[in-house]
Amino acid sequence: MKAVLLKAIRDLRRRRLQAAVVFVTTLLAVGTGTIALTLIAQTSDPYQTAFEAQKGAHLVVDFDGRVDPGTLAGTPALIGASAFAGPYRATDMQFQSGGHKYTVTAIARDNPGGDVGQLRITGGRWPSSGTEIALTRSFVDLNHVVIGDKLKVLSVPQAPVLTVVGLVVDIDELRADVGGQQHAWVIESAFAPLTTKNSTFYQMDYRFASDPTSPQMQTYLDKLRASLPPDSITSSISYIFARTVFHISTQILIGVLVAFSVFALAATAAIVANLVTGIVISAYREIGIMKAVGFTPAQVIGVFVLQILVPTAAACVIGIPAAMVLSQPLLASNSQALGLAYQATYSPGLGLLALAGALVIVTVAAVIPAFRAGRLRPAIVIANASAPRGQSGRWIRTLASLARLPRPVVLGLGDAAARPVRAILTVLAVVLGVATVIVALGETRTFNEIYSYEGHVGKVDVVVAKTPAFADADATQLIDLQPETTRVVAQANTNITAHGIADPINTLTFRGDSGALGYLLTSGRWFSGPGEVVANGGFVHDAHLNLGDTFTGTVNGAALKLRIVGVVYDFTAGPGGHIMMLDWSTVAPAVPDLSPSSYMVTLKPGSNVGAYVKRLAAAQPDLLDVQAASTGNTAFLSVIAAVLLGIAGLIALIAVAGIFNTLLLTTRERVRDTATLKTLGMSPRQVIGMVAASAGFLALLGGLVAVPAGVELYRLLFDQLSALGGNVTPPVFYDVYATWELIAIPVAGVVVAIAAAMIPARWAARTNVVEVLHSE
Amino acid sequence: MDGRTFFRAFRDRGGKSGVSELVRLTDVTKVYQGGITGALNGVSVSVEKGEFTAIMGPSGSGKSTLLNMVAGLDRPTSGGVAVGGTDLGKLGEAGLARFRRDHIGFVFQFFYLLPNLTALENVLIPAQLKGNAATGRARALLERLGIKDVEDKYPARMSGGQQQRVAIARALINNPTLLLADEPTGALDTHTGEQVMELLGQVHRDGQTILLVTHDAKLATRHAARVISVMDGKIVDDARLESPERAPSDVIRVRGEEVSR
Ligand SMILES: Nc1ncnc2c1ncn2[C@@H]1O[C@H](COP(=O)(O)OP(=O)(O)OP(=O)(O)O)[C@@H](O)[C@H]1O
Ligand SMILES: [Mg+2]
Repeated sequence: MKAVLLKAIRDLRRRRLQAAVVFVTTLLAVGTGTIALTLIAQTSDPYQTAFEAQKGAHLVVDFDGRVDPGTLAGTPALIGASAFAGPYRATDMQFQSGGHKYTVTAIARDNPGGDVGQLRITGGRWPSSGTEIALTRSFVDLNHVVIGDKLKVLSVPQAPVLTVVGLVVDIDELRADVGGQQHAWVIESAFAPLTTKNSTFYQMDYRFASDPTSPQMQTYLDKLRASLPPDSITSSISYIFARTVFHISTQILIGVLVAFSVFALAATAAIVANLVTGIVISAYREIGIMKAVGFTPAQVIGVFVLQILVPTAAACVIGIPAAMVLSQPLLASNSQALGLAYQATYSPGLGLLALAGALVIVTVAAVIPAFRAGRLRPAIVIANASAPRGQSGRWIRTLASLARLPRPVVLGLGDAAARPVRAILTVLAVVLGVATVIVALGETRTFNEIYSYEGHVGKVDVVVAKTPAFADADATQLIDLQPETTRVVAQANTNITAHGIADPINTLTFRGDSGALGYLLTSGRWFSGPGEVVANGGFVHDAHLNLGDTFTGTVNGAALKLRIVGVVYDFTAGPGGHIMMLDWSTVAPAVPDLSPSSYMVTLKPGSNVGAYVKRLAAAQPDLLDVQAASTGNTAFLSVIAAVLLGIAGLIALIAVAGIFNTLLLTTRERVRDTATLKTLGMSPRQVIGMVAASAGFLALLGGLVAVPAGVELYRLLFDQLSALGGNVTPPVFYDVYATWELIAIPVAGVVVAIAAAMIPARWAARTNVVEVLHSE
Repeated sequence: MDGRTFFRAFRDRGGKSGVSELVRLTDVTKVYQGGITGALNGVSVSVEKGEFTAIMGPSGSGKSTLLNMVAGLDRPTSGGVAVGGTDLGKLGEAGLARFRRDHIGFVFQFFYLLPNLTALENVLIPAQLKGNAATGRARALLERLGIKDVEDKYPARMSGGQQQRVAIARALINNPTLLLADEPTGALDTHTGEQVMELLGQVHRDGQTILLVTHDAKLATRHAARVISVMDGKIVDDARLESPERAPSDVIRVRGEEVSR
């Protein structure tokens, strides 16, 4: 054993560069892998902990204000809830803070505690007077409101001013950055001044003895609905939905990290296998001598595997703890969103798992080629300095000669193919590298495209939000008066219920040329008249409808005959969520007081959007919120994009290391041939050309495979992402790459490979012929 | 030899040493890194065009070093090397490579064929490095050296004698001004070695200047008209034999080879 160790360590010292390659690639692979593992193992914890600690409600239901609160008190027993809270009085409240207007759900509640849906106060205190309000931490973080800020309430004519006194975590609502309307709390006695006629509704929190499943929740809702007058339930949120939404960004991140760490590990395994093969090939005579002096086959294998395991272990020792530290901010963001003090947690078991995984993968990758060394018969190998080479380079040389390429290039191409296993392993690493770059580029690009599509970028210049207190006619007149205005589409949010769908469906009702908003349809067409509806895939699926089917929707107690004419690509409804879009004329007859909440305004080309916004806002500072249509908050997207591109870069780096490694092996192995070529008159530049041609060829081959593979993989991943929102990917999102990019990416790969080849190439060009041939 | 090579080789010829001087070493010393004594110590010698010169000497005496200097494979520590009037000291790496390509053919003891190329491909390499296609000439050379039948074989499938003949063909493909051979028979059995020497003799008779390093006095004297003896990095004897085919014993005496015995 001592001899094996000694030999392995001596060899390692001689092969420092190769050891460095193994070290770097393993470091990158083990790093991404550990981050992925850490996130998988620990993300669900904080939410679950908080949900239990705060006695989270499994189901939160909003009831219409006309329902008798006494009746509601009987509902928990009806559905078998083990505990409940409410009914709380609630109302939509719009307020202004720091020049922006926001809408929250204001809830009347004297006490943050209770049996269900306890609120955790993470800053300040609970309101104690009629002029105080508590906001959610999630809302405050997103919108930069602080304790002590004064909020001017705009949704009631008296416009009272409330002071923010507390920050609260409510485990039962959707997090603000993913798009939920946030809760806010005032004491019971302060509630009435915040309401107008008919604006009050009731909210009930239900908790069950054990966590109900989705179908169980569905049954509870059906029971509730059946026991109450029609349209009593206006909305509901289940803990499953809240949890999914809470985790969605981490989920996407985990998916990407897992996929990429698998890629990185595969590329590392390919490089290690290649490296060991190369060492075995070039150390043929040495293997013979080792055997002759009494190394058993197993010990010979041991020497080779140990050489690889030492740098691997070193990479793990550095990479695993580093990755654990690096994943802390990601974990911390989840806890902080819940207002939990984040305790950095390091799981030694997880680290050991990552270590064991890396060692096993690398060992397997090393043992297979090392077997060849173990099996060699000493007499044969001592006679040959290195393994005989195959002749598989010949057809390539023939082809290259026919193409009249310069001889050094032809020789380089032949070298690249002379050892097929090495060529394949190298190409594999390149394929993985280039493919991830393509996937990452595609995904980030579509994320941004989806975002700009949902924000109507290029279609709408200004969005005007109106408080209910301001009349639609006045708002419309004001907007129409502006000379730059060319198009106005008004939007009202209505809830429509449909048979078979538990929750009321969030429905966007448009007035004006809504087709011009550019909603993306995955099938069918945009609606063109009363009764026609466009819905998201989730709704069409859950309601068991097909394009062209009719169904009955209920709004305000009136039945609407509706027909699905198109399916819209949508993420706003969230996973499992439902959304419908239809024309004003469909809903208006049933809802006499239908009033838009916002107007999407398009200006004449070349108009000054800033001036327009200022003028309009100045005209009605309290009752209108005027904003330039922005790309909004893309922090979530840019985190994912940064992570994606970062990891793709790392894997591309691993691929470059793979090419570098192969060239190192080839040039070392070929040192005598290179010396011979130099005596025959090959100039240093021709030597460099030869090595560069090898590198370029392998990279080109990898690129040619990787481009279609990467595009296909991107589509697959994107389909998954679309499915998350209940969508079918529309073909336009498949074509995010320009033709020149699909050419430029492999070309860039070739250029990088050739650049990486310069170190071994110059080494080969500088070799002293006399010394090389002398030492033979 | 074609006219152009001939012209280039002799263009800058100095007047004093006669019409046909091809190689001139002036006081060449070579000390390898870590070497205590020089591998060559103040060697001055010239070789004339058309000569078949043998260099003999015991192992480690500096024969290969001398040949490498002439080929421009290595640079002397001091002194000058000129071939065909070109001072090799004035050439850079690329210049030396071009010089070797155009003027030198090199044959090694261990053949050094490129293992992943066929015989024909090996022979073609020097021509192709110059950008010439010389397939016809390569085939003719293989024919002339009697190894037409191995044209498409890889070195691993050839006998030592065949490999060395391919190496000779490769050395001749560019019509070199000078053919250098370092123990070309050293790795071959006696019979095959004799055949290879016979070929070199034939090439010489066709006008090729040859500088040969060998251990074998019998082979040397059979073909070479001049025998230079080297010991401890110095030329200790330089004998011109009026006619080849002299008795080896005569030569050995003249060259002091017995000193090493
Ligand atoms: N590349 C080198 N580095 C260091 N020393 C060298 C090198 N090449 C040769 N030598 C030394 O220089 C001296 C002359 O070597 P050279 O190879 O020229 O001898 P030689 O006459 O060709 O011997 P042989 O008949 O064994 O081939 C020897 O002592 C040798 O060890
Ligand atoms: Mg020698």
